[in-house]
Amino acid sequence: MWEYITFGLIVQLFVNGILFGTMYGIAAIGLSLVFGTMRIIFLAQGTMIIFMAYICYWIFTLMGIDPYLSLVIIVPLSLLLGIGLYHILFREAAGLEDKNISLLIAVGLMFLMENLITVIWTANPRFIETSYTSFAFRPMGINISVTRLNGLIMALLSTAGVLLFLKKTMIGMAVRAASEDMISATLVGISPHRVNAVAFAIGIGLAGVAGVGLATIYPFDPYYGFIFALKAIISLAIGGIGSVVGALLGGILLGLIESLASFFFSGGWSDAISFAVFLIVLMFKPEGLFVRSINKA
Amino acid sequence: MEDKRSILISVLVVIAFACVPFVLDVDKSYFVFFLFLSFCYVTITQAWNLVGGYTGQISLGQHAFFGLGAYTTAIIWLRDITKTGYFFDPVTMILSGLVPVVLAIIVGIPLLHRLKGDYFAIGTLGVGEIIKVLFVKGGSFTGASDGLHLPSTVFESMKPYYWTGLFLAIFSTVVVYFLIRSRIGLALRAIREDETSAASHGVHVLKYKVFAFAVGAFLTGLAGSLYAYYLFHINPDAVLKLNWTLYPVLMCVIGGTGRIMGPVIGAFFMNGVFFLTDIYFVEINPIMAGLLIIIVMRFMPGGLIGLKDMIMSRK
Repeated sequence: MWEYITFGLIVQLFVNGILFGTMYGIAAIGLSLVFGTMRIIFLAQGTMIIFMAYICYWIFTLMGIDPYLSLVIIVPLSLLLGIGLYHILFREAAGLEDKNISLLIAVGLMFLMENLITVIWTANPRFIETSYTSFAFRPMGINISVTRLNGLIMALLSTAGVLLFLKKTMIGMAVRAASEDMISATLVGISPHRVNAVAFAIGIGLAGVAGVGLATIYPFDPYYGFIFALKAIISLAIGGIGSVVGALLGGILLGLIESLASFFFSGGWSDAISFAVFLIVLMFKPEGLFVRSINKA
Repeated sequence: MEDKRSILISVLVVIAFACVPFVLDVDKSYFVFFLFLSFCYVTITQAWNLVGGYTGQISLGQHAFFGLGAYTTAIIWLRDITKTGYFFDPVTMILSGLVPVVLAIIVGIPLLHRLKGDYFAIGTLGVGEIIKVLFVKGGSFTGASDGLHLPSTVFESMKPYYWTGLFLAIFSTVVVYFLIRSRIGLALRAIREDETSAASHGVHVLKYKVFAFAVGAFLTGLAGSLYAYYLFHINPDAVLKLNWTLYPVLMCVIGGTGRIMGPVIGAFFMNGVFFLTDIYFVEINPIMAGLLIIIVMRFMPGGLIGLKDMIMSRK
């Protein structure tokens, strides 16, 4: 195998890893926001992404709307879905001391969505095939597919959007304050349900973006969601819980690790390697690689 | 379980369960299979209850212990290591419980020492997934992704399965019950309530946490061994799937966490739901399970056992 390795190939592996890692990154940002205010790991995030990917697939096949254009429908839809889900399912549980209740509701939601998708769309893998799917830029012999590049652009834009929202708007600042200390935030007049709902809505909104990105890059099936959520959790832990940019960088790093691991070892090992990296990070730098201050979390 | 009456009721229920094979045709009855599977779930759920419910350490790596128990049984049998009978051999089963204990101690000391709460949960999940990959990639020793085939010709009747399952369910419940009433149980609950306070009162936090984790692993490994005898074809997809972690967590929380009867009620209830939806709503049965988890958690956060308290307090 070693004789095939060229500089170009290594660059190609890096490019692939970075481009796909941004998908993990967006999912991880969603998780990070939800964890920030509600202190739970929202396990259903991956399944939400897959659900949105199926919605995108539906919009594309039934109405013939371009997947990237469908973001105009999918993002508002997923924001609304996020608010709705919070108020219907998590409102009561979020106030309880025992966080396992919220966590289990998320697990129940994951089961429900996963099987709902299977009933509606069957378990066959789906893929969105547009006229530009196979199109790729080839700077210096490196293959950069246009859909993956779009995924990267979408990830960067949505990260910037979330950052601006958190830094510049009133409610965004309230979300950040609640992530620091929910009780003090409540004391200065921030409604916990409002910030929770907003964080949740943005989380699901980002799932919508990731869903479109995923649907155009990879074939997907209903059960891919849980694996995706696990990858997002790993990215989050690598990047550091509570940091938006850290989550994106964590996702990119995980994408890189997977891309290199599945080339140098066989594909099956890559999951074990990413989990091993994750455990090592948890053990020795639990605050994450890209966070400077130590948070209590 | 404090008064004599509930002990008497428990003994009567156990005797009634033990007599079921004399009444029903064990090999044809779907109901007996349901009970057998419920007993397996009670065993692993009780194990999780000790770790997650009483000690407050949410472990999501139980499937590693379950799978390790099943694989230990299969490997000992196929390689003729202990030179004993193998089919329902107590030595093999106990060894299948002890191997997961070794893993629990090796993994538990660093994880329980450094990680708390959610981090511990994801850490154990990571360990579980790594173990799974190791078994898939284990070559001829673990049979890779195809797994190991045990000589299924020894199968004669469902009866030994039923009684062993019943025994394991009772065994794990009794073990957890007596542990919790002892000084160890006091220490474990103190750790759950407030680790710093427990440590300042002279409880060796890490030692007790690892102990609870190891006992949980032992009980889970025993159930894995029994399941291996039932399955005969041990492969990573069957014995190392994440359901072996998710189901006990669900059953425990739905029944009532940190209560001795919680896992029993939860296991029978959830398994009953799985079976009934499997019979009556084949198309949508997994949806029902998800929906039910949400409903129970949304309206009865204390679990089903909390329902009794709710009714009692209203009187």
